[in-house]
Amino acid sequence: MRSPSGLEALIDALRCLPGVGPKSAQRMAFYLLQRDRPGADRLARALSHALTAVRHCNGCNNFTEQASCELCLSGDRDGTVLCVVETPADLLMIEQTHAYRGQYYVLMGRLSPLDGVGPETLALDRLVRRALDGVVREVVLATNFTVEGEATAHYIGELLRPRGMKLSRIARGLPVGGELEYTDAGTVAQALVERRSLTG
Amino acid sequence: MSSERGGKVRGPAYVLHTLPWRETSLLVEVLTRDHGRLALMARGARRPRSPVRGLLRAFQPLQLEWFGKAELRTMSQAEWATFQPLLDGQALYCGLYLNELMLRLLARDDPHPGLYDAYAETLMALAAVGGEGVVLRRFELRLLKELGYGLQLTLDADSARPLDPAAWYTFDPEQGPRIAAARSNAVQFSGRALCAMAADDWTEPTTAVQAKALMRHVLAFHLGHQDLHTRKLFREITLP
Ligand SMILES: [Zn+2]
Repeated sequence: MRSPSGLEALIDALRCLPGVGPKSAQRMAFYLLQRDRPGADRLARALSHALTAVRHCNGCNNFTEQASCELCLSGDRDGTVLCVVETPADLLMIEQTHAYRGQYYVLMGRLSPLDGVGPETLALDRLVRRALDGVVREVVLATNFTVEGEATAHYIGELLRPRGMKLSRIARGLPVGGELEYTDAGTVAQALVERRSLTG
Repeated sequence: MSSERGGKVRGPAYVLHTLPWRETSLLVEVLTRDHGRLALMARGARRPRSPVRGLLRAFQPLQLEWFGKAELRTMSQAEWATFQPLLDGQALYCGLYLNELMLRLLARDDPHPGLYDAYAETLMALAAVGGEGVVLRRFELRLLKELGYGLQLTLDADSARPLDPAAWYTFDPEQGPRIAAARSNAVQFSGRALCAMAADDWTEPTTAVQAKALMRHVLAFHLGHQDLHTRKLFREITLP
């Protein structure tokens, strides 16, 4: 028996979500059409609205509905420091700390050389223009400490260093309040490698 | 060395590449010392509190345990084996290049313990000296040899006579060097550089330059049409 084509198209469309295979896509489609038609309607409207309204901020590349986002427009941020993160979730994490008062650039991804995800997939030319606006004095590379995040940080560093930009990388080590005994070997090993002097 | 118990195999391994699988799992391409390249499914490895989340990363020497006979086996354990300094900057790109080379050229389930050891040594060398051309060339030569594509660098493929250091040669990836025709457009290599490569003598700077061109030529032959991502995507970062 063939499914109606509208249903098939929905199942097919749901599969574009990360981690959603044919089985889960089918489950979602049945749920939306059978159990929660108002929810399905809200989803359809929200998706369609977001697609037309949400864009990338001119300043930080994060999602916004204006030309520039609130964070970029707010007057009390330090424009001389620019923190580069992979995703909006990373930005929110740093904001939660209240430890950073500078501005951001959100890459919306990372380089993944072995998957063929190269520099052209990230708006790096915009990042370079943003960093060289004449106000930024330091770029903080806060990409993840994964192989891909490290490759991305190095690549951006190589783009900005020849242009005379001061670069820094967020530190890595034991978690605050962490106990050696319960920390994984890789973290402890790297904390030893990157130990810092207490004298002077 | 690896051991087998109750259908489970344990042994030293490196992660070559990982891909997210479903919500929380990871598909891991590994190079094991005694069982060659394998594809392993690490269930739940992407959960926030997974003990192997930070461990299953490229270039980290691991002790892995897996089971299953099919194309895709299941990883049952992963442990930190020993300290390997993290690769950064250009050394990291070199490491990614090595991994891509192996993913492209090495068939699954084809053990090469010697290559595994050479890979481990190469990672140590990259961490110590950074991205050095000689380090990559030695590994490429070793890789080709292990795969049965070892280069013939000492004899003229036509005459079977030793190379003339003063002469120039074209290079056939399967046969070796041939005296270059006077007006040939093919890439040419000096007899001196080929002999130095064969002798693992890198004192002349021109040897490294010629070796890089030679290995590109030979690897292009074995890789076919699709160039390596690590070469293609990072023109701004010149690999040594
Ligand atoms: Zn913004």
